Amino acid sequence: MASQRDVKNRIASIKNIEKITRAMQMVAAARLRRAEQRIAALRPYAGAIRRMTRQAAEAADNVPSLPILKEHDSINTVGILLVTGDRGLAGAFNSQIIRAGLRAAAQHEAAGRSVVYFASGRRGVSTLKFRKKDPIGEWVGFTDRPAYGDARAIAEGVMTAYVDGEVDQVEIFYNGYVSALTQEVRRETLLPLQQATILDESDEDVDEDDKQSRSLVEYEPDPEEILARLVPDYVEISIFRALLESTASEHGARMTAMRNASENASDLIDDYTLEMNRARQADITQEIMEVVAGAESLT
Amino acid sequence: MAKSKFTVEVLTPEGEVFKDEVEMLSTRTSVGSIGVLAHHQPLLAMLDPTELRLYRSDSDIVRFAQGEGYLQVADNHALVLVEEAHEPGELNGSDLQERLRKAEQALSDAEEGSEAERAAQRDKRRWEAFLRISGTSAE
Repeated sequence: MASQRDVKNRIASIKNIEKITRAMQMVAAARLRRAEQRIAALRPYAGAIRRMTRQAAEAADNVPSLPILKEHDSINTVGILLVTGDRGLAGAFNSQIIRAGLRAAAQHEAAGRSVVYFASGRRGVSTLKFRKKDPIGEWVGFTDRPAYGDARAIAEGVMTAYVDGEVDQVEIFYNGYVSALTQEVRRETLLPLQQATILDESDEDVDEDDKQSRSLVEYEPDPEEILARLVPDYVEISIFRALLESTASEHGARMTAMRNASENASDLIDDYTLEMNRARQADITQEIMEVVAGAESLT
Repeated sequence: MAKSKFTVEVLTPEGEVFKDEVEMLSTRTSVGSIGVLAHHQPLLAMLDPTELRLYRSDSDIVRFAQGEGYLQVADNHALVLVEEAHEPGELNGSDLQERLRKAEQALSDAEEGSEAERAAQRDKRRWEAFLRISGTSAE
């Protein structure tokens, strides 16, 4: 049986760990709330971009054949973009993305396609490097609070690779935010962009007044040129949403992981306290026995 | 005499940064500078990085450093959709200089006529515009 002092030391260190995990849990909870608000703040912007695209597309008669809309003749190389966090201690948050990405990569490779990686977040980058799968694009240092500029940088990276022919398809893997307790791995095809997603009218009704006023609209420059810039915005917005959801998920996952850790710590403290009491009682019993034995030997 | 006013809404992916009545809006499209007064005809324009000015009155001017975006005018309501909008005081000169340097580096590394070159050029123009705005506000 461990001595009293050993057990006491262990209890003290577990108490310290518990303090840290509780603090991390509370920080994650506060940041989660902010991350949720940012997901909500993106919605009006994304909606306005969609309406504007539809308006420009109607004025332009046809959507111009932009390179990012064009499917490559054959898919030889697939780009996989992993959205992870900069830090660990968030349960399965990072590992499940990496696992899903590598599994998809194995499938592509079995079908005879080669795979290249892009990674956002230090965890994804370092794991890929450790496995000798160096990403061709890496972006780190912002996953606590991603800015639109970060999404733009990633979008430029993957679109450049697509347009310049380095990859023929790009898939993104990220933790979709369902609730503070649930995050699910989402896999989406980023490029080539489907025209259908741009001109999807199902979510909004177009009324007649709208249509009439459109014919009088002045365009600066041509609707075609405006479209040429609106369309890449879709990729940026998709990536930005993925980054925001990933950040919210990361905080949610960390909150859950830290709560479990804190609960474990309390359980351990209870167990060790019991053990310490037992050890102390054993010492006392031992002493009494010795005293009694000593007294008996005198009589 | 007070000029008539119209509502302007400035939206970014981070949320709404401005919504109020103004007399005039001044910005820059990819074709050139533009000023919008009340009752402007319906318009859809592409915006380039520049200083966005919103004139509540001749003396009360709200300024933002705007990134790329779009301007939509309809029914006496202007919607400014930009990727970024910062108050000039928020801009950090040395940070922008660093970004500009990186963009110039990327530009010289990029192959001619490639998509990477175009992206770098866009970045360069944006940081140059922001630097100009941060410079004037520091005076």
